[in-house]
Amino acid sequence: MSQEAYVDPATAVLWDQSHTEHDMIATRTLGFWLYLLSDAMIVSSLFASYLVLDHRVNAAAGPTAGDVVHPMAAFWGTVLLFSAILAYGAAMVGLKRGNRTAVLVGLGGAFLLGGGFLLAEGYDFAQLALHGMVPERSGYLSAFYALVLYHGAHLVFGVLWIAVMMAQVARQGFTPNVVYRLLNLKLFWFFQGFIWIYVFSFVYLAGALHVH
Amino acid sequence: MLVDYPGPWTPLLGRLDAHQIPLQNPILFWTFVLVSLGAATVLGAVTYYRSWGYLWREWLTSLDHKRIGVMYCLLGVVMLFRGFIDGVMMRTQQVMAVGPKSPGYLGAVHGYLPPYHFGQIYSAHGTIMILFAITPILVGIMNIIVPLQIGARDMAYPYLNAVSFWLTAAATGLVMISLFIGDFSHAGWVGLSPLTELAYSPGVGVDYWSWAVQIGSVGTTLASINIIATIIKMRAPGMSWTKMPIFCWTALSTSVVGLSSFPVFTAAVALLSLDRYAGTHFFTPGLGGNLMLYTDLFWIWGHPEVYYVVLPAFGILSEIIPTFSEKPLFGYITMAAASIAIGGVSWSVWLHHFFTMGAGPGVNAFFSIASMLVGIPTGVKVFNWAFTLYRGRVRFDVPMLWALAALVLLLTGGLTGMMLAMPAINYTVHNSVFVVAHFHNMLNVVGFACFGAINYWFPKVFGFKLDERTGKLAFWFFSAGTVVLFGSMYALGFMGMPRRIDYIPFTSWRPLLIGEEVGIFLFLIASYYMVKQLFVSIRDRAKNRVTTSDAWGTSRSLEWLAHSPVPFYNFAVQPHVNARDEWAWRREHGLGHVRPDHYEDIHLPNNTPLPLMLGACAFALGFGLVWRMYWLALVSLIGIVIIVIARSFQDDPGHTLPGAQIRQMEAVYPDIPREAGATGGMLGGVVARHALAAPRSRARDD
Amino acid sequence: MALRKEHAGPPLSLALLLFLGGCAQRGFWLLHPKGAIARTEWHTTVLDVAVMGGVVLVAGGLVAAFLWRYRVGSGSRKYDPTYTSSLVIELLVWGVPLMIVGYLSYFSVKSVFATNPYNPLAIRHALAHPRQTDEAMGRRADPALVSATAPGAHAPRALRVDVVTTDWQWVFIYPRQGVATVDELVVPVRTPVKFDLTSATVVNDFFIPELVGEIDIMPGMRTKQAMIASRTGLYHGYSDDFSGGGFSWMGFSTHVTGRAQFNGWVRRVRAAPDHLTYARFGQIARPTINLAQRVRYFSQVQKGLFDHVIERVMEGKVYRTPLAMTEDMTKPMKVRLIK
Repeated sequence: MSQEAYVDPATAVLWDQSHTEHDMIATRTLGFWLYLLSDAMIVSSLFASYLVLDHRVNAAAGPTAGDVVHPMAAFWGTVLLFSAILAYGAAMVGLKRGNRTAVLVGLGGAFLLGGGFLLAEGYDFAQLALHGMVPERSGYLSAFYALVLYHGAHLVFGVLWIAVMMAQVARQGFTPNVVYRLLNLKLFWFFQGFIWIYVFSFVYLAGALHVH
Repeated sequence: MLVDYPGPWTPLLGRLDAHQIPLQNPILFWTFVLVSLGAATVLGAVTYYRSWGYLWREWLTSLDHKRIGVMYCLLGVVMLFRGFIDGVMMRTQQVMAVGPKSPGYLGAVHGYLPPYHFGQIYSAHGTIMILFAITPILVGIMNIIVPLQIGARDMAYPYLNAVSFWLTAAATGLVMISLFIGDFSHAGWVGLSPLTELAYSPGVGVDYWSWAVQIGSVGTTLASINIIATIIKMRAPGMSWTKMPIFCWTALSTSVVGLSSFPVFTAAVALLSLDRYAGTHFFTPGLGGNLMLYTDLFWIWGHPEVYYVVLPAFGILSEIIPTFSEKPLFGYITMAAASIAIGGVSWSVWLHHFFTMGAGPGVNAFFSIASMLVGIPTGVKVFNWAFTLYRGRVRFDVPMLWALAALVLLLTGGLTGMMLAMPAINYTVHNSVFVVAHFHNMLNVVGFACFGAINYWFPKVFGFKLDERTGKLAFWFFSAGTVVLFGSMYALGFMGMPRRIDYIPFTSWRPLLIGEEVGIFLFLIASYYMVKQLFVSIRDRAKNRVTTSDAWGTSRSLEWLAHSPVPFYNFAVQPHVNARDEWAWRREHGLGHVRPDHYEDIHLPNNTPLPLMLGACAFALGFGLVWRMYWLALVSLIGIVIIVIARSFQDDPGHTLPGAQIRQMEAVYPDIPREAGATGGMLGGVVARHALAAPRSRARDD
Repeated sequence: MALRKEHAGPPLSLALLLFLGGCAQRGFWLLHPKGAIARTEWHTTVLDVAVMGGVVLVAGGLVAAFLWRYRVGSGSRKYDPTYTSSLVIELLVWGVPLMIVGYLSYFSVKSVFATNPYNPLAIRHALAHPRQTDEAMGRRADPALVSATAPGAHAPRALRVDVVTTDWQWVFIYPRQGVATVDELVVPVRTPVKFDLTSATVVNDFFIPELVGEIDIMPGMRTKQAMIASRTGLYHGYSDDFSGGGFSWMGFSTHVTGRAQFNGWVRRVRAAPDHLTYARFGQIARPTINLAQRVRYFSQVQKGLFDHVIERVMEGKVYRTPLAMTEDMTKPMKVRLIK
């Protein structure tokens, strides 16, 4: 079963003279997928922690999920976030056509909408803090903030990255380096959307339905 | 100032003040003096030989996977020594502090180490040995060997490779500086929760531990990404999956394990840091925390981490044993499958690290069986190695000795591992030194494999073999030390001795503790011979020079097709792979000396100091956070972001090596090592200047 | 050469020698269990070592034989580099380990239930067959004690003990007797003892090698353990999970006595002047290293003290380790010492 096919040494090709160039963009994208896998493991750990700590005991007589989450506020946040993803999708259509302006407009839209989401989330957290619902209050709140803020951190980096890419697209145009970064940023931007889907379902919707 | 912690704080220096430098402790004071003298000597020598430029150009800013690999190994070996000294100190304390009548020195009630100092030493020993010694050595070996074995010119991402290394170096630097500024964690390499919480560890020790391991694990995750992508994307034409050398299979399996498990570790320790810095309650006993959550998260990483280090070791054995048996590896497909299987099963066994935490019998039974399943692919490997020897021509060179001893250790480690996998047995030895003996047994498998690998691949990287006689002496003393030390420790396990005690309440444990001390003394002799081996080998490098690409004469895989030492471009022309053991196939068919008929231009990345700067920023970030100098942490974080963005604007064009120049270099290549033998100069200079000659200097030679 | 190689390898051969030598001497506590649980655990160990030892001997023997037979200079003419796979061997090397793991798994599951800390079947078995377990020990039972629990006689009522660990002492509460001790556990022989365990600070591990295996003790939580001692005597117990600076001194002595002696001891403790209230417990729970393992007795215990400790910890009560203690390593004992 581990026998190999016979290669005639007399005629065998020993050196690769055929200029096989590695596809740089594909290699970079593979690496980014691998990074996303590792990031997904962090997200899973935070989700596991959240699910473990989402219990009456871990609320330490403080607020539980039902008191903390506002699904309607999160819904409008979700609309903003998915509009930002849609805007990025528009930029990708522009990239396919090689249209620099369309890419810049799409990226700009994603930047503004993503930033809007961050502002809305910040406002939401400020309201919670005013009501004494701070991470230090209980294990449950610690897990809640850690999970939601980890998504928020992705958004901060995503927005920063979008700004950098807008500058690079404007300055350099569609060089291979810029293109692979745009593609990786697409993965990243969609990935934070995926995280949000889970956060919205398991934290906000499930939390609002929780009866303790 | 987010949480309430004891002690003063100033905005500029955070918690740091002058008396954090433990000069009053004679042990640390003299260590500090010695380390300072050593550092001054090295820096002085570099200055005297005017090697700063060389060091900067050829090593610190290099993106060459072999240099980065060598730096990884060097870092790992230095830390291995540091961890070993910690081990010597622990054993000596334990043998001195037996029974209530034992005397105390240097402020200790018994022995010479007070409890909190002992706690730091064993915690540093564990953290260093696993994360900053064994892991860097293995990553370094994979870094050097994997691209060569798959016929690639470099890793998939050379820049990321350097970043991974410098992050690891930054983390190591944090662990080392904790010796002289502040203190280290006393809560074990596992970070026992809730002992790591601020209430029970109010000093900076746990912070040093947590930031060091977080930075280090980011580095290791990135290294895993790089190795996976390299193996998937960079294999030479003709190298199908079933023609890939077995070491690459284990490197792939281990990197998948590393990629998926290290982030969990980062997350667990990050949550712990939130507890310590932001006052959250993830793992506190009260206010809704759950300390068992930490234990789970930690071991969800911790157990795969064990396989992360053991799988490459298996790969190394699978390379060494066929070479010195003059036979291909027996059951290649099975071996590859077993490597992947071990990686897979490693994810479903973590609970056996806390059978005693009160889980129900059903849960314990499930994880017991899952843990035993690991024994199957491991057993398969052992038998396949045995049948590789069958009908071979077995030679006992130094790498083979290390490999065979690793095999024997694997058997005993497997036996005790099967014991620990049964909860009923585990209850009696769970936190005792029996477990310590077991995992030292297993990590010694890795250690033996590493020493074997260093002896085996050294001529490939540096162009000359390591000295045989001193190498054998080192091997025999090390083996004897292993038997005596860990044999005694296993026996102490049956006496019920707990791990991590700095005072021994029962005098009946003394004889075996003396046995352990004898064992560590044998290790001390072994390490003397290891240093001597390196010294003698460099002194006699002309004699030990390897003139052909195949240093051992019977090697099999593709790395032995490249010249010894490997030129910076690895292969002048990328080889086309025809067989599983490509080099053996070419040798046996008389094709070993066939060179390509024409050479083409090679494109290589330029050196860059940015990874080094990223490492420096990561170190400053960690240091700032440890001492709660928030301004420093913020500045270095911004520095990291700026460097990353700056690099993305830089767009390294790389440089091109013309085919004509390669032809010249290839033509003179076999002669260069002989020239180097006659040249004097300092250690690194000889090795690197002539063995791994750089484009610029080579161009001048021509 | 090849033979010498084999000598260097197995630490276990030496360890086994030490065990054999050690059987004659005292100190190998796990080899001399004095209770049903510890005995089951030891028997499982013997079984596992026997099975796996066989595997290791076969594999090691194979390696040694091949090394010797096919070493360079052995004169073997069987060199055959094409022998790289064999379906039979592949099936054997996967199949045999699988069967062995299956066999051991059966015993593993069985012994898990026998030694399950929450409900160990081994204790029931010991109560039902007191003579049998004694014969299994290879020694003759004390007739006086056997008659007390002879078949047909009532199984003795289990003794309950609540265990609270602090930094770094043990508090044993006997709720039914209304007494408590620090660093001393006294239990009657041949009587099931049921422990409830919790910690006021960090995780510890309850371990009496000759009587019962380990169980973690966690703050804000309750774990359980049960044991039965088959022989009177003094046994050493200690924490097995690192808990800070005083961990090494965190031992307690376990006296297994006859029933009458136990009752006498309870009466003696009831005469002690000290009472254990939650406030008094708070004093004990301050970081203290009991260097001399001095025993203290409490004649009255606040009702529900054990549960109260758990509740208070869950509400956030911590007994902090002082910074000076961990930072200044040359003067580590900035802590209450009991000498």
